[in-house]
Formats: sequence, C-alpha cells, structure tokens
Amino acid sequence: MSEGIRVARLEEIPEGEGIAIDKAVTGTADNVALLRDTDGSVWALDDTCTHEDASLADGFVEDGYVECPLHASRFCLKNGEVQGLPATRGTCAHRVEVRDGEVYLYPNTSGGGA
Amino acid sequence: MSRVLMSGVLIVGGGIAGVSTAAALRAGGFDGDVTLVDEGEFPYDRPPLSKEYLAGARDVKQLALQPPEWYDEQRIQLINRTRATALHGAEGAVELDSGAVLRADRVVLATGGHAARPPIPGADNDRVHVLRTLADADRLRAALNPGARVLVVGAGLIGAETASTMTGLGCEVVIADPEARPLEPVLGPEFAAWLHGQHAVRGIETVQQTITSFGKQPNGIRAYFGGGRAPEDFDAVLLGVGMVPRVELAKSAGLVVERGIVVDARHASSHPNVLVVGDPARMRVSGVLHPSAEHWDAAQVDGARAAAAILGTAPPPASAPWFWTDRHGRHIEAVGRLAEAERAVLRGAFADPSFSMFGLVGDHVVAAASVDEPNAVRTARRLIDRRIPVDASRLADTGTNLRTLLRG
Repeated sequence: MSEGIRVARLEEIPEGEGIAIDKAVTGTADNVALLRDTDGSVWALDDTCTHEDASLADGFVEDGYVECPLHASRFCLKNGEVQGLPATRGTCAHRVEVRDGEVYLYPNTSGGGA
Repeated sequence: MSRVLMSGVLIVGGGIAGVSTAAALRAGGFDGDVTLVDEGEFPYDRPPLSKEYLAGARDVKQLALQPPEWYDEQRIQLINRTRATALHGAEGAVELDSGAVLRADRVVLATGGHAARPPIPGADNDRVHVLRTLADADRLRAALNPGARVLVVGAGLIGAETASTMTGLGCEVVIADPEARPLEPVLGPEFAAWLHGQHAVRGIETVQQTITSFGKQPNGIRAYFGGGRAPEDFDAVLLGVGMVPRVELAKSAGLVVERGIVVDARHASSHPNVLVVGDPARMRVSGVLHPSAEHWDAAQVDGARAAAAILGTAPPPASAPWFWTDRHGRHIEAVGRLAEAERAVLRGAFADPSFSMFGLVGDHVVAAASVDEPNAVRTARRLIDRRIPVDASRLADTGTNLRTLLRG
C-alpha cells in the first residue's frame, strides 16, 4: 500500500466541500470524507460525525475545519480533533496525497480519534 | 472551611454555557484554576431530554456534555451535587450548600433557568409536568404510557418536540397554544403555519386556546380552556411555556437584574469580576437591553465570549442567531428572524421532502429556515455574517449549489 489508494480526482472535490468514499473502497471501519479546504488543500477524516449519524462530507469546509451538517460541531482537518460541542470525541484522520491531479488515501489503521 | 484560588475562575452552573466557558478558557491557554460547581450528578446536555432521551433511545450516560475523564485532562475541578447559595462580588466569594466558601478572581454565573410555571389555578397537581432537567424528563417519561392522553400547553420548541416524542410513544396528544402560528416571529407566517400544521398531519389535535384552570379528577386532570371550549380530561399535562432565568445569586450580590442579569458586551455584570453567560444574561449594548437568546448555540458562544473577556483576547466573531429543532422525524434549522424580512423566497415547496425559505431585505439575506436541508441555513448564516448580496432567483432555484453564492 505504499502508493496509497487512488480515491478521487482532485477536480471532483470543489473547494469548501467534501465527498464521501465508501469503506468498501478504503478498507476502513467507516466511510472516509475527502475534504477540500478553501485554500485548495485536501484532507481525509472518518465520515460519520462522532455525535450522531451525519456525513461530514456534506459539511462546510473552511479555514482548517469541517462543520458537521447536523449540529455544527467542528473537526480539525489535520488531526480530527473536535472543537466545539455537542460532539465530545475527535475523529480519525487519514493521510492523503495529491499526485498529478489524483487523490491518494493512506488509511490510518490505528483507528484512533484525536 | 475556605480555600483560595490563585488567579482562578469559578463557574457556577454546568449546563452548555458553563461547560463551554471552562472549555474555552483552557483552549485559550488559561493556566489558572478552573472550578465548576454544578447541582447535578454530572454536566449534561439538555436538547435530548425532549427527544432521544424521553423516547428511551438514549441513556443517561449518553447525555454527558463531556466524558468523565475530560475534567481531569483539562484540569477542571468539578464539584457536583452542590448548590451555590450566596455570592459576594467584591471578594469573588461563593458560598456553597456544603458550607464551603470558594474564592476566585473571576466568578462566571452560568445558572441557567427553570421552566416557567404560570399561575394557572389548579396547576399544583402531580399530573402537571415541566421539562427542563433530567429529573423532569424521568418524571414525565413515567407518565407516558401507550394510550395515555396528554395535554401539551405551549407549541414552541419544547412543547412541539415533546408532543412529537409522545406520539412516537403511543400517547394521544393535544397541543394548546393561543397563537395561530407559534414561532412566527422567527419563522415568518408561511413557514410557521406549515410547521404547526404538521402536528395535525401526525394525528395531534391543535387547539388555539389558553388554559384557564385545571381540576382534580379521580384518575386524571381536567383542563378548562378559554373561549368557552368544553373542558377535557387528561392523564398528564406538560407546560412548555418558557424559561425563567435563575437570578437569586446575582440578587444576593446586589447585581443589576432586569428580568435577567444585565451584562455589558464583554459579559461583565454590574460587578466587573462577575461575568454571566447563557440564559440569565441580558446584554446591554449602546443603552439597548437585549433579551436572552435562550438557545443552545447562543449559550455555547457566550462561553467562548466570556472566556475571551477573561483572557483579554479578541472575542469570536459575532454570528447571526441560529438554532435547530427536531420534530416528527424532520430536522429544522433557522437563522435570524424571517418576520423581519421584506420578502421571503421559497426554495422548493412545502410538500417536498426538504425545502428552505430565505428572508431578504433588499438583496441581502437576513434570515432563513430549512426542513431537512441544514446546509441552506448554514449558507444563509454565512451570507448574513459576511454581508454578501445575492440574486433572489438563484436562491429560489433548487438547481443552484448554494455554496457557490458565498463566492459572490
């Protein structure tokens, strides 16, 4: 897996938004949200909010954080740490690389939240 | 018994405002003592009390605002099952019902409120409930047997959410509210009428009346309505008619209280070392006294603002008031006040699985509400906060990706 899993083309993810990649593709416990910050950078977190059943890929991505579309808890794109209730637990962050316009995912198999 | 807290902050009340203040102090690098005094077993979240918890879908541990280990990790001393009985602002001293006196550089009052109990004759009856605390929810839940006939007084957020949950538990529910369109100031007439109408769709009878009195019955309670409507018997009654802020401590310290504790823009009360957050705080800015927002998000933001004031850092940027509510399986969000808009733009239709409404003044969004499409309201909140003008026809077009409107 040293080359990672090719999961999307960069142009498929608008800035400020995200897309969810099915766990059948990523081999992770949860689906993975690919999140593109307003500066164009791409990040990956477990897709399901740690509070209730909501997809972080549907949330607003801004200034280093994604905002859950259900109750607006915010998670750090870099490390998955939660900033702001009602969620109390961070989520799992995965490493991504962009090469030649393709997004590669390196799943975090430790499964730990921040 | 007394102790001295060096450069410490003492927070009275472990609701969302108090816990958010503690969290924001640590997040902002505050290194002094932080002590949180709370009456309950542990600080818990209230929104599920009318929904998942009342329905039995979530247990008491899942209500915790923070996991138990969080308090140690954040070096927050939690003093639970304890009530503050007096406040001395000048000394920063708080007397506790345990007999202890705590002193701190700053005291933050996050005392919340209690459910209003209007003086309706006969309301001092065991079958009359309110819903504010965990104990209230447990007591109400015990009355909600399948087939029970329940009267909900007040069709605001608590009343409507609880009525929805009761229906799910198999109760027969009647809602009484004198307003034809509850929540109209926030949602505007059309949206408010549609939302209130959803109760009838779900088999709940809505009665546009006040309650004039209650009467004891051998196996129930009789409600007498205004307007000459015939009285009806119920197994239980829930009063969902608002919140009364808890201001006793503030009064004991001689702070200025006007149906809420008056604070300045930095959350300082009339005593500069005593700050107030959440439901009891009424902010006076440029001579204008504002009502408390009485919403979860506002209480959380208050905590962040009070912490910034204590830390001497810039407050978080102001944002338009926002809330969510869940009823009858629909997730509703609102920002601003639709009744204050010059015109309303509907995106989708009221019969659609999801839709939203935007309120505009000129070409600026001032408010919005949504059903099962929260990102419409999240977009509106950003449009309001950033004062971005919009083309109303693009808002109304369900083919528009709303987020593109934020790019101007």
